[in-house]
Amino acid sequence: MRNPFRWLLIAFTGLVVCSLAVSVIGADPIKIGLHAPLTGFAAADGLSVRQSVELAVRQINDAGGINGRPIQLVIYDDRADAKEAVAVAAKLIEQDKVAAVVGGSYSAPMRAVAPIYQQARLPMVAGFAVHPDITRAGDFVFRVGMLGPIEGAAAGDVAGKFLKAKTACQMTMDNDFGRALAEGFRARAAQLGIKIVWETLYPLGEMDFTPYLARLRQLNPDVVFTSGYYNEAAQFCKQAKDMGLKSQILGEEGFDSPKFIEIAGKASEGVIIVTNLNRDDARPAARAFIDGYRKLYKMEPDMVGASNYDAFLVIADALRRAKSTDPKAIRDAIASTRNFDGATGTISGFNALGECTKPIQAQVVKDGQFRYYGEVSDPAIITPPDK
Amino acid sequence: MLWQQLANGTTMGMIYALITLGLTMVYGVLRILHISHAGIFALGGYLAVLASRVSPNLAFVTAAAMLGCGLVGLLMQKWLYRPLLAESKVVSLIASIGMFTLMEDLFRLVAGPYVLPLPVRAPFGLDQFETSHMTGNQLVVLIASVMLLIAAWFIIHRTRLGLAWRATEQDFETASAFGVNIDRAVGTNFLLGSAVAGAAGALVGFYYNSVYPTMGSVPAYKAMAIAVLGGLGNVWGTVVASLILGLVETFLVISPAGLILPRDSIAFIALILVLLFRPHGLFGRR
Repeated sequence: MRNPFRWLLIAFTGLVVCSLAVSVIGADPIKIGLHAPLTGFAAADGLSVRQSVELAVRQINDAGGINGRPIQLVIYDDRADAKEAVAVAAKLIEQDKVAAVVGGSYSAPMRAVAPIYQQARLPMVAGFAVHPDITRAGDFVFRVGMLGPIEGAAAGDVAGKFLKAKTACQMTMDNDFGRALAEGFRARAAQLGIKIVWETLYPLGEMDFTPYLARLRQLNPDVVFTSGYYNEAAQFCKQAKDMGLKSQILGEEGFDSPKFIEIAGKASEGVIIVTNLNRDDARPAARAFIDGYRKLYKMEPDMVGASNYDAFLVIADALRRAKSTDPKAIRDAIASTRNFDGATGTISGFNALGECTKPIQAQVVKDGQFRYYGEVSDPAIITPPDK
Repeated sequence: MLWQQLANGTTMGMIYALITLGLTMVYGVLRILHISHAGIFALGGYLAVLASRVSPNLAFVTAAAMLGCGLVGLLMQKWLYRPLLAESKVVSLIASIGMFTLMEDLFRLVAGPYVLPLPVRAPFGLDQFETSHMTGNQLVVLIASVMLLIAAWFIIHRTRLGLAWRATEQDFETASAFGVNIDRAVGTNFLLGSAVAGAAGALVGFYYNSVYPTMGSVPAYKAMAIAVLGGLGNVWGTVVASLILGLVETFLVISPAGLILPRDSIAFIALILVLLFRPHGLFGRR
């Protein structure tokens, strides 16, 4: 039960060793580490992380590498588990001696390893982990994703300004992320004069939302701000449609997966989410990711992949400017990033804490696809705290 | 809203009843805690997904899941439980837990860790039926589970097969002396109990449009709690306990208490209370 995928891990390690043997023949590669939850409950996200970062590596190596040297990715599975992540960090630091690390896993494992990388003076860029403590580990830790309260506030902005909502309910999943989102939404809703008529928490893994929906249907708010990962999200929307809920469902990045649309089916139509990736983004950086991903893997990209693609590219960009693989030089180059053009948007830069500022996307499901709905770029909302 | 919540709670209750029914049937004749029953439940979901590629008809995929799960249940009894019958009950319990873990991991390795949708339609367009109190999917689950429960009741109480089970339940040797083929009685019991679990897996997969490797892990222990609440081996007790639990959970989660007590805790709080005060179950005879 604990390690059903040990053989997979062994296979991966084998692959890593083989690719190492092959690449020694060419120019000396630059090694970048990657944490990803390849197995366990978060395996769907892990696949997206791995494929997206591998896409970025392939694109860079095809274009001649960085300063004439190819990139070599060292991937380990942390099962979205803090204990495993600590072991992965030790391996990346001592055994693989990577130049920098992409933190492509969940908040709990990233929180556990951030102080370890800080102590080892090795730069880490977290992709989609949302917990505020991660960047508080120190000046070697950065994040390209959004913070929970900011994302919640952006959802509040969408509810008030785009949807002109007067009343709202909150269906909050009971974990750090859900509560942080709810806090941000509540604060922004108060500023915009949206009345929150009911708020409730539901446990992770909930499958039966009908009791909550009966209550929601009776209250009939303009908007229901719902947090959840793709499966809970899909159950909620599907059952909401079955029960004839009239309110607009407003979700967050947890909904942002092709699996959400696959499971919820027609019930996903018209659902609006705040997220990190605009599928209709015309900027070349976004197209390189979205179209490149569709072409290479024959599947839809998601925000999880996009965030880690960007986390990797931020490191690549820093390597290019630092003209060195010295971790301290890379850290300084990441810290001085300005107007970086990524798949998830233009990152204006990192603040003292290592948080970045970029617009937040609102997407709507139309004909079975996430499409552009709007963008929240009000600096008062999207600027992260620097303490 | 009250009627709506009653429909919600009753549907959950019926789902619990189906999952627990096979468990309590098996306990009745063999006195084995059959944990891997939950694995058979999940297998039902996967077989339904496979069958849905042949025909997207709910009746068909449920029948396919019942057939497949019934056979697997039968084999499990022949190859796992029968060789262990002479050992202490703890041995078969541990074997059963091991089997359940093995099944969960097999599902993960074969079908992947992802949630699979189960795109099927109910016969007669029942799933499109709409009222303000009940959804089409709920109606389908209610009708299907009532049909299955009545069929199970009929077999147990109105056929010679059921009589053989009940005789076996009371005393192996005496039943055998009176001409009951014990092997056949136990085998058919597993076959039918597992078939009901398979039907539950298919119906749950349909109701939530999702099938995944760990779908049996909450039912594995919750069904055990319900079986004890209803009195192990007691079919009507199981149904009543399931309905009560479904309704209590439904009304709990929207009440203020729902913020403190998670839904899944109710079954176990009730289990502790029943074990303390009525160890033979709410409806058990002693």
